[in-house]
Amino acid sequence: MSEIAPIVLNVNGAARHTTALGGDTLLTVIRDQLLLTGAKRGCNQGVCGACTVLVDGRPVRACLSLAGDCQDRRIETIEGLGDRPVMRALQQAFVAAAAFQCGFCTPGMLVAAFALLADSRLPSEADVRRALSGNLCRCTGYKKIVEAVLRAAHALADEAVA
Amino acid sequence: MTQSVVGVVGLAAPQLEAAEKVDGSARFIADLNRPGMLYGAVLQSPHAHARILSYDVSRALAIAGVRAVVTGDDVQTNWRMGAFIKDEHALAKGKVRYVGEAVAAIAADSEAVAREAAAAINVVYEELPAALSPHAALKPDAAVIHEELANYIKVFDTGSAGNLCSRTSFREGDIEQGWRDSDLIFEAHYLTQAQAHVSLEPCGALAEIDANGRITLWSANQSVFRVQANVCESLGLPMSRLRCLTPRIGAGFGNKMEPHVQPLAVLLAMKARRPVKLVLSREQDFEMVRARHPFDIRVKTGVKRDGTLVAREVEVLLDGGAFADDSPGVLGYALLMSCGPYRIPHAHCHGRLAYTNKMRFGAFRGFGVPQITFATETQLDEIADALAIDPIELRLKNLKRQGDRWLGGQPIASCGLNECIERVRTASGWNGGRHRAGSAGSRRALGMACSAHISGLLSTGAIIRLLEDGSVLLNTGAVDIGQGSNTVLSQLCAEALRVPLDRVSIASPDTDGSPYNWGTTASRVTYMTGISVLGAAAEVERKIKEHAAEILECSAQDLELVPGGFVAVKGIPHRRVGFAAVSGRAHWAAGGPIIGSHSWVFDQKTVDPKRASVVGLPFPQIGAFVFNAIVVDVEIDETTGKSRVERAWSACDVGRAINPQMVEGQIEGAFVQGLGFALFEEMVWNGPQIANPTLMDYKIPTFIEAPSELYAIIVESNDPGGPFGAKSVGEIGINGVAAAIANAVNAAVGVRLRRLPLTSERVLEAMLASEQK
Amino acid sequence: MASNPALFQSPTLTEALDLLAAIPGARPLSGGASLVAMMNAGLVEPAALVSLTRIPELRGIRVTADGGVIIGAATRHNEIAADPRLCGTAAVLPHAAAQIAGMAVRNMGTIGGAIAHADPGLDFPPALAAAGAVVELASAAARRRVPIREFFVDWYATVLTPGEIVIAVHLPKPKPGVGLYLKHARVSGDFAIVSVAVSLARDGEAHVAVGGCGPVPLASAEADGIVSSDLSASALAHAGDLLTALANPVDDVRATADYRRLLIPRMLARALNDCMAASRSVA
Ligand SMILES: Cc1cc2nc3c(=O)[nH]c(=O)nc-3n(C[C@H](O)[C@H](O)[C@H](O)COP(=O)(O)OP(=O)(O)OC[C@H]3O[C@@H](n4cnc5c(N)ncnc54)[C@H](O)[C@@H]3O)c2cc1C
Ligand code: FES
Ligand code: FES
Repeated sequence: MSEIAPIVLNVNGAARHTTALGGDTLLTVIRDQLLLTGAKRGCNQGVCGACTVLVDGRPVRACLSLAGDCQDRRIETIEGLGDRPVMRALQQAFVAAAAFQCGFCTPGMLVAAFALLADSRLPSEADVRRALSGNLCRCTGYKKIVEAVLRAAHALADEAVA
Repeated sequence: MTQSVVGVVGLAAPQLEAAEKVDGSARFIADLNRPGMLYGAVLQSPHAHARILSYDVSRALAIAGVRAVVTGDDVQTNWRMGAFIKDEHALAKGKVRYVGEAVAAIAADSEAVAREAAAAINVVYEELPAALSPHAALKPDAAVIHEELANYIKVFDTGSAGNLCSRTSFREGDIEQGWRDSDLIFEAHYLTQAQAHVSLEPCGALAEIDANGRITLWSANQSVFRVQANVCESLGLPMSRLRCLTPRIGAGFGNKMEPHVQPLAVLLAMKARRPVKLVLSREQDFEMVRARHPFDIRVKTGVKRDGTLVAREVEVLLDGGAFADDSPGVLGYALLMSCGPYRIPHAHCHGRLAYTNKMRFGAFRGFGVPQITFATETQLDEIADALAIDPIELRLKNLKRQGDRWLGGQPIASCGLNECIERVRTASGWNGGRHRAGSAGSRRALGMACSAHISGLLSTGAIIRLLEDGSVLLNTGAVDIGQGSNTVLSQLCAEALRVPLDRVSIASPDTDGSPYNWGTTASRVTYMTGISVLGAAAEVERKIKEHAAEILECSAQDLELVPGGFVAVKGIPHRRVGFAAVSGRAHWAAGGPIIGSHSWVFDQKTVDPKRASVVGLPFPQIGAFVFNAIVVDVEIDETTGKSRVERAWSACDVGRAINPQMVEGQIEGAFVQGLGFALFEEMVWNGPQIANPTLMDYKIPTFIEAPSELYAIIVESNDPGGPFGAKSVGEIGINGVAAAIANAVNAAVGVRLRRLPLTSERVLEAMLASEQK
Repeated sequence: MASNPALFQSPTLTEALDLLAAIPGARPLSGGASLVAMMNAGLVEPAALVSLTRIPELRGIRVTADGGVIIGAATRHNEIAADPRLCGTAAVLPHAAAQIAGMAVRNMGTIGGAIAHADPGLDFPPALAAAGAVVELASAAARRRVPIREFFVDWYATVLTPGEIVIAVHLPKPKPGVGLYLKHARVSGDFAIVSVAVSLARDGEAHVAVGGCGPVPLASAEADGIVSSDLSASALAHAGDLLTALANPVDDVRATADYRRLLIPRMLARALNDCMAASRSVA
C-alpha cells in the first residue's frame, strides 16, 4: 500500500503540484485538488464520457486514468482549451445550435469534438456521430450536437479560406 | 393570437446560462464546496425486507476522520414524508423494505473515509418474506410491507389496504351498453418495464447549518419547495428553519422531483454541525432514487365495423415499489389518459397500485402515459388492420376536437392534433405506402402513434421587481433543470414589459425569497409559471403607467408601453418617459418600489360529476391539453431481429412556441429517450437485486441509435388561456414513441409484440415463431 | 473504496517483470480501461500496479522479414483500427478494434490488456482467433508463445501465470482476401451479445471464431475446414452447428443463452455472405 504522495501534473500548460493516493484517478485529482470541475463524474466507469479530457492531445476518460500514471503527460481540460480557435468555434456553435440543455455532458462533449476537429477539418455527419458515440447525452437527442459540430467545422473551414 | 411586439416571444434565444455551460464553469451539486465541508456516504440495505434489530456504529465511529453517524434511531416514528401518502422516513427505521435502501449514513473528512466507515457499521436484521411483484404483493398471504398504512396521512381517498397502496377508477357512459353497441371487440394484455431516468448527473445534496440552527440546503432537484417540504416532514423541522437553494441541475426527468438524499445530508449536517456533501455514485443512483413504473395493462376496445370507437375498458396494475412517492399520481394520470385523444362514449378505466419490496417507482417523463399509450395505440393499429382501415384514417375518424370533453369531462380549450397528424403524414410520405425498401437482409416500414398530455396543475407564482435603473428582475421559484425555463420565462417577461431580453434577469430559486412553485414537472412551467409572469408583469405595467401619468401629466388609460423600456402617450410616441425615471420616482419620491406579483392554482375541474363517476382521484384539477403525432421509419435486421429507427417525425401541438429551438430540443430529446424505452432500456431484477445498476449494463441510446433524420415539427394551436397561447412540450414527445415503433415493427415483419422493450431477441423470436405458423 | 496501490512506471520490460515477480499481489496496468473501472467499483484492490505503457518494446506494430505482423501488447485499440498494414485477411483486427467502445476508450485500451482481461464479451479474442494469432508471454524467468486458441481457458481466465504478462501478438503474413468482424450489441460501444470474426483468403482458406458465447472464443479446425472448402448455405449451416455445439453461453442482462445459440449459425452465415460480397466487390 502506498501513502499519499506528492505528484506533479502538467495541466492546461502549467505544472501543478498536488498529492494523490496510488488509486486516485485523474478525475478525482483535477476536480477535488485542482478544483477544475468542468470534467464531470457521470459514471466513474468509462461509459458516459462526461469526464473526457485530453491527454497528449487525445481524448481519454479521466475517471479511468490514474493520476500518478499521468505525471509525464500533457493534460488539457475544458477550462484550458477556451482560447483555442477550434474550441471557440465549437462553443459558439453549441450556443447557436442549442446543443445542450442541462449542460452536464457538454464539457466532455466539447473536448471530444475538439479532438475530432483538430484531426479532421471537415467531418461528415457520420464521422461526427462515430467520433462522439462514446459521449452520452440524455437531454438533447443528439441532433443539435451534431449540427453544432458540423457548423463549427464549416466556420473554421471558412475562416481558413478567408 | 397575441402578437409579439418586441419579437422576444417566438425567438430562438440561447439559454441565459449558455456561457457557463460551454466554458465548464457551470456548477452542479458535485461541484459545490463549503468551508469545513465533510463528505457523506450511505450504508445500503442488503435485504429486500427485514426488521432492523440493532445497530453497532462503534467501529465506524472509531475510524479517524469520522464526524457523525446517523441511523433510523435519529428520526422519530411520526416523521414521515410523501407527496400522496406520508409513508417514508428519511432513512430506514424499524424495517428495510428494499435492497439498496439507506440504513445509515456517515459524515467524514473524506469520501474514502466516509465509505470505509459506512461499511464498518454492523446492523443486525431479522429477514422477512419479501413481495417482489405486485401480483405477489396483493395475494392475501403476502408479507405486509407497511403495517402502519392505515394510520398514514393521505392527501386523497387512496383506498389503501394490505399492500394495496391506492386504486383509481373512471367511469363514463355505460360500458355494458358499449359492448352491446360494438360490432367487434379487441382485447389484449400488455407489459412494460422499469426504465431508469439516467439523468447524466447523479443525485446529491449539500447541507449546512449555522450557529443559530438555521439550515441551508443545495441539491440536485426539480423543486426547492418540494425539497423543503420533504426534508421538514421527515426531520420534524418547521419549514421556515430550512432554506433550499439550487445549483445548476444535470437534468431531471422526474427523478429529482421528490426526495433522494436531501434528508440524509441535512440530518448529517445537524449532527456534525458542519457542512456535509453527499453525492450518490451511479450505482447508488440506480439503486436508491426511483424509476419508471412497470405496468401490467389489459385493454379492451369495442368498435363499429366502420371504425367508430364505442367502448374502452382499461385495467392496470402498477408496481409501486416500497414507498408511494408519486405513484398514486402516476396511476390516476395514466388512467385519465387511457382513452387517448379519441371520442369513446363508454369507458371504464381502473387500476391498482401495489407496494412491493423494490426501490420506489415514481415520476418519469410521461408520468405513466408512455406505458398506457404503448398498449392503447398498438391496439388501435390491430383494430385498423382487422378492419382494413389505414391507421391514420382510423385515428382521424375518432379524434377529439377543440370543445370536446376529455375523459372525466373537462373541455378541451385548444387542439392541434389534426394538424399534427397531417404534418407527419405528409412529411413521412405515409400515403405512398408504409413499406420501404430496406438494406440487404432487413425489412423496413413506417408506424405511427398519437398521444396527449397536460400543461397545468397545482400552484405557482411570480414576482417582478423594477429596479432603480429600470432593469427588471424576475423571480418565480421555478427550477430550470436544463430545459431552458429561465430563458423562456424571461422571454415572456421581456415581451410583456416590451423590453429587450437582456434587460431582464431571473433570480435563482430560493425558498426564502421566491414565490411558491410546486415544481418543474408535469410539463407545467411554461404554462403555469408563464401565466404568473404575465400576471405579475401586468401589475408592474399598471404601476409604471400610474407613475408615468403623473410625470407626463395625462391619464394612465392614455398610456402604453413602447418597446425598449418606455411608456408613452398612445399615438404620440415622443411624449414618453423611460422605466429608469419611473422607477426612480417610485423609489425616492412617491409610491414605493415597483413590485408586481401573481400567484394562482390551476382550478379547472378534471371531473364533471354529471358526465363521469370517479373514485380515488389524486389530481382533482389538471388540464390544458397538448397533443402529438409521430411517424417512425424502422428497419429490422433479419439476422438478429435488431430494430433501428432510420427516420422519425414528431409533431407536437404546443399551443405556441415561445422559444422554437428549445421546443425542438424537448421533442428531440423526448423522442430519443422514448426510443431507448421502446427498444432496449430495462432495469432487470435478479431476485430482490437490481442486476444492471451501471451504465455498462443498463444502456441508453448513443449518437448511433438516435436517428440522424429526426424531425421535430411544431404545431401552434394558440391556447386561449396560455401565456401568448403557449401550453407545454416537456413530456408529450415521449408518450407515443414506443407505440409508433412497435407499430412499425409489426408493419415490417408482421409480429405484434405486447411487451416492452422490443429487444432484438424478442423480435427475432417472434419472427421465427410466426414463420413456423 | 479508493484502493491504494503503489504505482510503478517501469521504463523497461526487465524492470517491470522483476517488479511483478517481486511484489506479491502486483498487477500489470495497461490502458486501465478495465482495471481502473474495477478498482473504482471496489471489485479489485491490487497491492501494487506496474504500468506497462511506457515500455518502448511493447508499443506499436511491426512487420517482420517474412511478412508476419507483430503487435506490441501496449498498442492502443485506435492504433490497430487505423493501421493499413493490417489488411487482407488480417483486416478482421482493425475491423474489430474500430467497434470497441468509443473513441476515448479506444485511445486508452490496449490489445494486451484486452486479452489478459479475457472478458467473454471482448472483441479482440474472437478476432485474433480468426486471424490465427500467437500470443507472446514473458515473465522474469522465461518467455513463451501460445496460440490464441489455447490462450483462453475459462471465464476471465487465461494461461497467464502470476508475474507473467502478454508482451506481443504475432500474426501470420496477411493473405489477400477479406477480414470481417460482425458484432451484434444492444447499442454502439456495448459488449457483444454475439460476434463473429472471419478471415477469408482469396485462395479459399477461411478461419472463423465466435465471441460472446462462452468463456472462450468459439473456434474449431473442423469448422474452419468446412468453410475453407465450401461456402454453400448448407455448409455454412453445418459449420454454424459445429460452433454452436461448442458454445456455453449464459443468460445475462444483454440476452439469454438461447438467443446467443440461435444467433451463432445465423450470424456466421451472414458474416461469410458479407465477406463473399466484399471479395466480389474487391475483385
Ligand atoms: C466503457 C467501456 C466500453 C468498452 N467496450 C468494449 C467493447 O465494446 N469491446 C471490447 O472488446 N472491449 C471493450 N472495453 C474494454 C476495453 O477493450 C479495455 O481496453 C480492455 O478490456 C482492457 O485493456 P486495457 O489496456 O485498458 O487493460 P487494463 O485495464 O490496464 O488491464 C486489464 C487487465 O489485464 C491485466 N493486464 C493489462 N495488461 C496486461 C498485459 N500486457 N499482460 C498481462 N496482463 C495485463 C491487468 O492487470 C488487468 O487485470 C470497454 C471498456 C470500457 C471502459
Ligand atoms: S465519469 Fe468517466 S466516463 Fe463517466
Ligand atoms: S445536455 Fe443534459 S446530458 Fe447532455
